[in-house]
Amino acid sequence: MNLPNYEFLSAPLWLVTTLHLLTLTLHFVAMNFMLGGVIIVLHAAILKRWGEPALLSFVRMFPGAMAATVTLGVAPLLFLQLVYPRQVYSAAIVSGWFWLIVIAAVIVAYYALYRASWKGEKTGKASKPALVLALAGVAYVSIVYSSVFSMSERPNLIHDLYARDQSGLVWNPAVGDYLLRWLHMILGAVTVGGFFVGMLGRNEPATYQTGKQFFVVGMVLASLAGMAYLLSLQPILAVFMQTPAIWALTVAVLLSLGSLHFFFKKNFCVSGTMLFVSMLGMVYARHTVRLLKLAGQFDPASWRVAPQWSPFLIFLICFVIALAVVAYMLRLYFSANKSPA
Amino acid sequence: MNYPFWDVPVGYGILMAAIAIVHVFISHFAIGGGLYLVVTEQWARKHHDQPTLEFLEKLGRFFVLVSLVAGALTGVGIWFIIGLLNPSATEALIHNFVWGWAIEWTFFVVEVSAALIYYCGWKTMTAAAHLTVGWIYFIAAWLSLVVINGIITFMLTPGQWLATGDFWDGFFNPTYWPSLVMRTGVCLMLAGLYALLVASRYEAGDFKARTVRDTATWGILGLVVTAVSQYWYWKTIPAAITTRAVQIMPTPMHALRYTVWLAVAIGALLGLCRLLARRLPVALAVVLMALGLAWFGSFESFRESVRKPYVITGYIYGNGVEVALTDRYAKEGYLKQIAYRSGDEGADLFRHSCRSCHTLDGYKPLRPAFDGTDKAFIAAIIRSAHLLRGNMPPFLGTGAEADKIADYLYQRIDRRPLDELCKLQGVDLGQRAYDLRCGKCHIVGGYGDKSKSFAGLSADDLGGMLDLAANLGKGMPDYTGGTTERAALIAYLRTLGKQVKK
Repeated sequence: MNLPNYEFLSAPLWLVTTLHLLTLTLHFVAMNFMLGGVIIVLHAAILKRWGEPALLSFVRMFPGAMAATVTLGVAPLLFLQLVYPRQVYSAAIVSGWFWLIVIAAVIVAYYALYRASWKGEKTGKASKPALVLALAGVAYVSIVYSSVFSMSERPNLIHDLYARDQSGLVWNPAVGDYLLRWLHMILGAVTVGGFFVGMLGRNEPATYQTGKQFFVVGMVLASLAGMAYLLSLQPILAVFMQTPAIWALTVAVLLSLGSLHFFFKKNFCVSGTMLFVSMLGMVYARHTVRLLKLAGQFDPASWRVAPQWSPFLIFLICFVIALAVVAYMLRLYFSANKSPA
Repeated sequence: MNYPFWDVPVGYGILMAAIAIVHVFISHFAIGGGLYLVVTEQWARKHHDQPTLEFLEKLGRFFVLVSLVAGALTGVGIWFIIGLLNPSATEALIHNFVWGWAIEWTFFVVEVSAALIYYCGWKTMTAAAHLTVGWIYFIAAWLSLVVINGIITFMLTPGQWLATGDFWDGFFNPTYWPSLVMRTGVCLMLAGLYALLVASRYEAGDFKARTVRDTATWGILGLVVTAVSQYWYWKTIPAAITTRAVQIMPTPMHALRYTVWLAVAIGALLGLCRLLARRLPVALAVVLMALGLAWFGSFESFRESVRKPYVITGYIYGNGVEVALTDRYAKEGYLKQIAYRSGDEGADLFRHSCRSCHTLDGYKPLRPAFDGTDKAFIAAIIRSAHLLRGNMPPFLGTGAEADKIADYLYQRIDRRPLDELCKLQGVDLGQRAYDLRCGKCHIVGGYGDKSKSFAGLSADDLGGMLDLAANLGKGMPDYTGGTTERAALIAYLRTLGKQVKK
């Protein structure tokens, strides 16, 4: 039958990949602020290291950070599913229940953050149980994502696991594939969280010090976990070393160190920019690892490209307008007349 | 068949409905509620109405909690669940409409940002700035509906896209405009219902009376727009779909009727709200919310089931079988196309052919449909699936594969003879046999009724007819039941013939 064939990419692969990596990095920024921030604030709350007002000023930001995390997470997931549908859906189906519970976990974490924020406003105290609940929810989501996306890079493993069990209750047993990467990501979140805590608490010595501590220690530990993960990529490590990704990774590491330097000088604008570009480099390196792991089984370049330029152009225009409108609304919000409306 | 099959004991329809209905209910409220908030705020600020502004602030908190958290995440949840339940169709949609979704995402970004700023800025922003953000929220939220509506309606009426494959042909498909107007009406109606719920919690008095009357008017206005455009929507669905639905698809038609009755009930209760405005009880507002949810559940049930046997009309069947691959299935069979195998061919074939809509015991169960029958009968039913009432997808695999599914099912049903199984005899047993073996296509007094043809026939005539059953019509199975069942069936057919005579 002469029906349209859906097996195509509606834009060149490079364009889709660029959008995927860019939006994924933006998602990581928001996610790291929220996840890393919750960990640091909980740590400070338990050890009573900050005053309650400083704690609450962060807790109030978490619902917004969660909203940004979710919103910015939609686009990279869309582009990932566009290019790697067979890999991602297959892995998700094998772990179907774990995958689906992600939604419930995010809802619980989200409400917990609102609860913490509103309870803080009402009572003047940060709600530790609510923050712990939110942390548990987000940690669940992150480990499921690591497990499923790692599985998606091993089609043969998906076949084997599915042959054994079709119920969707299969957890990726190749823990070595993703545990270090997951740990690197959690520690990375703590690092970036430390940056934000230091930046936003720059006028309060205790808060700034805590941020600095987490930024430095987090970066050291994240680097160690990242290095260990890199070494665990043994079969593909040699090939990885010959790709541009190794340069991207090197630049990313140097930029991370540079961001520390400017953080100490309290030049948060330069420090933050370096940190963002560093994350972009790491996301690119991660993307290269995916391609190398799938090599021989799937090559995204094999997609037929049939561009849909008119809807793409509309997307681009809408994207620019959206950025401008959000900036405009933020300006309205921050420059508002402080007297009651 | 490029994907593994998620074999869960819960029916796919239930899983889908559990997430989708909650999402559409909240997301439509998120649009209408945005308009309600900003229009009412504008009015209240103009008239310096402080109680109304306080009411709106409370409503805004409820609004943010419901729409930004549950609404947004169940939306992502739909994405998760469709990828698990029908990955092929999801892949097809993403490849064709990725830029549609990307455009919607830009509106989503604005919508979420605006909602947060609107909520957080109640006390600090100037009136003009706050209202501007409110209007931006509503416009972005409605534009996201404008986009997603194109993809949702495409699945029922892809229109010219089937010939051209063009993005815009698929997007602006035949039901696009009526659906957009109808969903906009629903947004207004739900805004009224949600606001009524908040208003009902206020103490009796002038403020409550005025607020309830105003919000009930929103609900009624939305209901009128919804009702008119729902009729328009029904008329724009191609006749080939609606005619078949009326003839042989009880599920969507029941759902459609429920929407009409529920709309009448909602309209009546909204009228009652206006009468009881001063003392509107919370219970009545809760009942209205429940009816609103039921209306949406019924409508979505109609929309999802009227597409049968397709998930994308004319393109992909509900079980993921692709129309474009019909020739390949016929030539090579299904098994060759199933990428992920469990080692049990019968189970794999059953999953990819039937399991999307049927479970063995739970949702649309097959075990009771085949208990007391035999392998040959089950295989014949599978081969003729597209001829059964209910509008099922055709089985496009080979005869041997149909036999494998039949064998898989036969091993799991109660294989005792029907008389022993249901402890019936005579005409009662015959009626049970008729329901099992004939009722899948022939309803006495309804679709495919053949009672008239039994008039005046003797037991021998009817026996001869059963012997030649496979020759009586396209897709008719051989009669393969036991002798006791056969005699009982003949006795029952004779009663049908006699009823016609009378």
